[in-house]
Amino acid sequence: MATDKKKSQQPAQKGMRGLVIGMIVFVVAVGAAFAVISNQSIKSLKLPSSVSKADGYGIVFNPTGSPKIDIWEDFQCPICDRFEGINGNYINQVVQAGHAKVVFHTMSFIGPESILAANAGACAANSGKFIQFHAAMYNNQPTTENSGKITNPWLTLIGAAAGISDPKFSSCVNNGDFINWTKNIEADAAAKNVNATPTVFVNGKELDRNTQYMDPVAFKKALTDAGVK
Amino acid sequence: MANQEFATTHMKFQGWITLLARLVLGGVLIAAGALKAGNPAHAAMAVRAYQVLPVTLANILGYALPWAEMGVGLALVIGVAVKGSAIIGGGLMLLFILAISQAWARGLSIDCGCFGGGGASLPVTRLMCKKSSEIPVSPRSRFTYFGIRTVNLG
Repeated sequence: MATDKKKSQQPAQKGMRGLVIGMIVFVVAVGAAFAVISNQSIKSLKLPSSVSKADGYGIVFNPTGSPKIDIWEDFQCPICDRFEGINGNYINQVVQAGHAKVVFHTMSFIGPESILAANAGACAANSGKFIQFHAAMYNNQPTTENSGKITNPWLTLIGAAAGISDPKFSSCVNNGDFINWTKNIEADAAAKNVNATPTVFVNGKELDRNTQYMDPVAFKKALTDAGVK
Repeated sequence: MANQEFATTHMKFQGWITLLARLVLGGVLIAAGALKAGNPAHAAMAVRAYQVLPVTLANILGYALPWAEMGVGLALVIGVAVKGSAIIGGGLMLLFILAISQAWARGLSIDCGCFGGGGASLPVTRLMCKKSSEIPVSPRSRFTYFGIRTVNLG
């Protein structure tokens, strides 16, 4: 009973088939175009005070210092927490002593709670307490990502624990003043081929992921070799 | 005689096997696309980590690929443009295997990012590719939206 599918199809059915295919293609095209466009840097937006486009929108300490250390991280990333445990104190010393220009790029690719945390980090930077907030954030990092624990009220508490008394901090967190800025951090990291967190560049050159990240002696040597006192 | 018997049995089950292959490949593509589409920044990072494409292209692919996967998966499940979608779906799986293999060969320590941020899924990918390779050569599949067999009584 061999029948020809094509012959038995009504013209109306063929039109319908075209319509269904057309709809799928349309949805794919619109979705893809939207995804591409919405992940570009935003041209005019509110920036934290220590941030400039030239430094990839990162939060800058000691802008005239040298060498330049760039750190890409995500507040929800567990390996960043380990990195912070191993090298955090040393990095903070370098920042406080002014021995290098240090740029923190707080990424948010892990999800919506990273965006909230990065926004709060920028608010803390505006209140002059980024380093303290940064430490408190990792000390209290939730064990699972996007579990619902990181909320604006929770981040406000982290800020209080970090010693932020600036009344602007909580409104900045709650209003999401720098939510759009987190997009620019992401877009810049994407353009610079940053594919993991933490990622550390010393004078624009990435450290060796296999040997220099998780060993405090090797990490310190990499920085001192580059001219950090 | 035996040959003819086989041919008849083949005719009988062919459509159902193809339907199964379509649903599995389509379902996997829809799931993989949907899980990634919600976090394009992470998807783009996953593509960059393969270190094959120039950064700009890798980013565009990362943002767009989840949508393409969902579209192809949807076409396979509904049953429109089955042959074309199966070829594209199977081709994607082949590309993924090549991409993962080259990363392994170069000693890149990466997470495939197949279904979003985490989870290595090479065994699944391999299975899907095998399944999907069966579809384009199949004459007909059960329950395609417009390809339901009709019997001409005239």
